Amino acid sequence: MSHAVQFDLSEDQSAILGGLEQLIGTLNIEAPKDPVVSAYSQPLDDELTTGGFFEITQSEGFGLLDGALIVEALAKLPVSVEAAASILIAPSFLEDAGRRPVALVSGSAAAPARFLPMAKTLLVDKGDDVLRIDIPEGAVEDVETLFAYPYGRLKNPGALPAVSLGAGRVAELRRRWRMAIAVEAAGLMQSALDTVLEHVKTRQQFGRPIGSFQAVQHRLVMAAEQGQATRWLALRAAWSDSEADAAIAATYAQDATPKFCNDLHQFCGAMGLTLEFPLHHWTYRLRALLGEMGGSSGSALAAADAVWAGKVP
Amino acid sequence: MSESLDEFRARARAWLQANVPHHAAPMEGPESRDYALAWQKRQYEGGWAGLTWPQAYGGREASVLQQIAWFEEYARANAPSTHNACFVGTNHAGPTLIACGTDEQKSFHLPRIMKGEVIWCQGFSEPNTGSDLASLRTKGVVEGDELVVNGQKIWSSYADIADYQELLLRTDPDSARHHGLSWVICKMDTPGITVRPIKTMAGPAKFAEVFYDNVRIPLSNVVGGLNNGWKTAMSTLGFERGTASLALQISLGQRVEELIAANKDVALAETLMDLRADAAALRAMSYQFAVKSETGPVGSEGSMIRLYFAELAQRVAKASIEIFGIAAPNVLEEHGLGFDYFDAYSETIAGGTAEIQRNIIAERVLGLPRGSR
Ligand SMILES: Cc1cc2nc3c(=O)[nH]c(=O)nc-3n(C[C@H](O)[C@H](O)[C@H](O)COP(=O)(O)OP(=O)(O)OC[C@H]3O[C@@H](n4cnc5c(N)ncnc54)[C@H](O)[C@@H]3O)c2cc1C
Repeated sequence: MSHAVQFDLSEDQSAILGGLEQLIGTLNIEAPKDPVVSAYSQPLDDELTTGGFFEITQSEGFGLLDGALIVEALAKLPVSVEAAASILIAPSFLEDAGRRPVALVSGSAAAPARFLPMAKTLLVDKGDDVLRIDIPEGAVEDVETLFAYPYGRLKNPGALPAVSLGAGRVAELRRRWRMAIAVEAAGLMQSALDTVLEHVKTRQQFGRPIGSFQAVQHRLVMAAEQGQATRWLALRAAWSDSEADAAIAATYAQDATPKFCNDLHQFCGAMGLTLEFPLHHWTYRLRALLGEMGGSSGSALAAADAVWAGKVP
Repeated sequence: MSESLDEFRARARAWLQANVPHHAAPMEGPESRDYALAWQKRQYEGGWAGLTWPQAYGGREASVLQQIAWFEEYARANAPSTHNACFVGTNHAGPTLIACGTDEQKSFHLPRIMKGEVIWCQGFSEPNTGSDLASLRTKGVVEGDELVVNGQKIWSSYADIADYQELLLRTDPDSARHHGLSWVICKMDTPGITVRPIKTMAGPAKFAEVFYDNVRIPLSNVVGGLNNGWKTAMSTLGFERGTASLALQISLGQRVEELIAANKDVALAETLMDLRADAAALRAMSYQFAVKSETGPVGSEGSMIRLYFAELAQRVAKASIEIFGIAAPNVLEEHGLGFDYFDAYSETIAGGTAEIQRNIIAERVLGLPRGSR
């Protein structure tokens, strides 16, 4: 096995990301002006579909790593779009790629899930089985949250036919889900950090930019380190598609998130706690990811399991 | 015969059991005002308001041990958060008036605060004045027996539902920094005041921007002397560090116990036991500090306890999400996950940021040389 010690974008990857940037540019996506708790960009979803971005991993010469780069780039936007499950998970779980957006849920099909209001498919991690549920029009009720993703819940989960995909698919679903969490977190962290760096350079107190205080600088440097570490672990997980790498990437991202978000909000003062300041577009979502797949402790146990090959009690 | 502490506690428990409101506090607007006032009034009528206030002003002057017992019972009974719309009146404006007000100011305002008749808000911060409070610019110009106020305040909690504001102004135009300021009682329905509520990350509008356009305030509303406002403002800073936050600290410990009871995941055992140890340490520090505060002025160690509390609250919020996930109960309600999370963030910002407090602790508690700022 070769080791990806060096990572520069290939020509193809640069071209794809350039294309994505251009597409986003034409849509003129900005942080919503009015204070809103969650914003889903359907126009972006439509454009990505037309552009074939959701099928990238099945295209000749492309794979999970390329998909991960796209998911990461999309997470940097101040609006959300369901891409991680569609790109990193759906291809091997859906018969018909058109049945996206895809929502994911652990345990019970009745639990609230990200993207369920617009999802056409729900994948349920039952622990001993993976269920696939096709979602008809009108089957979902919205759930109000403070997580900036659209959330919904099936009104009557028992009434919808569920296809059992078998116990053999559980590990794969979890691996990819954890990979998706880490990749998305990497993009969110980067935009959140950029927003705060801009703020501390311009906001003045005591006659100087607050970014000149060492107490502020040191913790922002630590936040930058966490962002970088999350990114490289996530990309490694996408490159290797291994259980251990995915679980370790998710553990790191989920563990780092609370401190990371805290510090970022801290340095924006009261302004950073409002819906008029853009930071929440990313930190809300980071917080949502924190609660998935058993959180950092669940991911850490999965990592231990993978590393010690099931020998963990 | 005076009541024993156990008797006091039993009486508090019985009263709380019979009187704590059953519906959760509304989060914003006139309903939150009515709720806070009704709860304050009920405590007053039950003889439980103003535990920390001197008897001369209608307070109970309860001993620190009684205060601790009260707040323990208060948390156990799930009584409304003490961080409600009455907080500024009972814990900030009231104590400031007690320390610096004229007899007239005290006899007019203190009973109204205690009886739950009025809401107060604080107008210190400005768009360009946060941590550096002494840079404030909203000005009051003396004209006859009035101050004419022009400028803008921001982050004034409950300003949209308040009757009065403790307003810090620059009243000497030639002054700089903390000189030439005045602490003034501002009636919120005075012509020229405009209030714009600001939505927080937690959903509701908890604070507001306030604009002053030729607002006329009688000079008799100045507290602690014209151009002496910095001293007036600082007179009550210590008050907040004493027992005012005990209720919140005790509730946090209770929250940890609830998480332990709700948790079914062995992977979280270590995290939860860490939190339990932290909660126990916090309790020990805050009780010790409160007891010490009874016998004399307390120093800046209160800031350490506040920081410990705030950072523990942030970690408790993280554990809550891991345990309950998105399905956590009452995400949007008071004390729900959304609120805990937001409150935990604001704990290290509101009333002086964690960094400013650490600067103070480093200097005054650890005796380190003052850094550049
Ligand atoms: C929930 C809430 C309620 C509030 N209610 C009120 C109210 O009722 N009335 C009122 O007047 N105000 C209120 N405030 C405002 C509060 O007092 C200010 O937010 C606080 O003083 C910090 O100011 P700022 O938000 O402008 O942050 P800034 O001063 O801009 O600080 C931004 C960051 O820079 C850091 N920083 C600044 N100076 C230094 C330094 N010298 N060294 C190291 N780091 C530094 C800060 O610690 C912070 O992390 C409230 C705030 C909140 C969050």
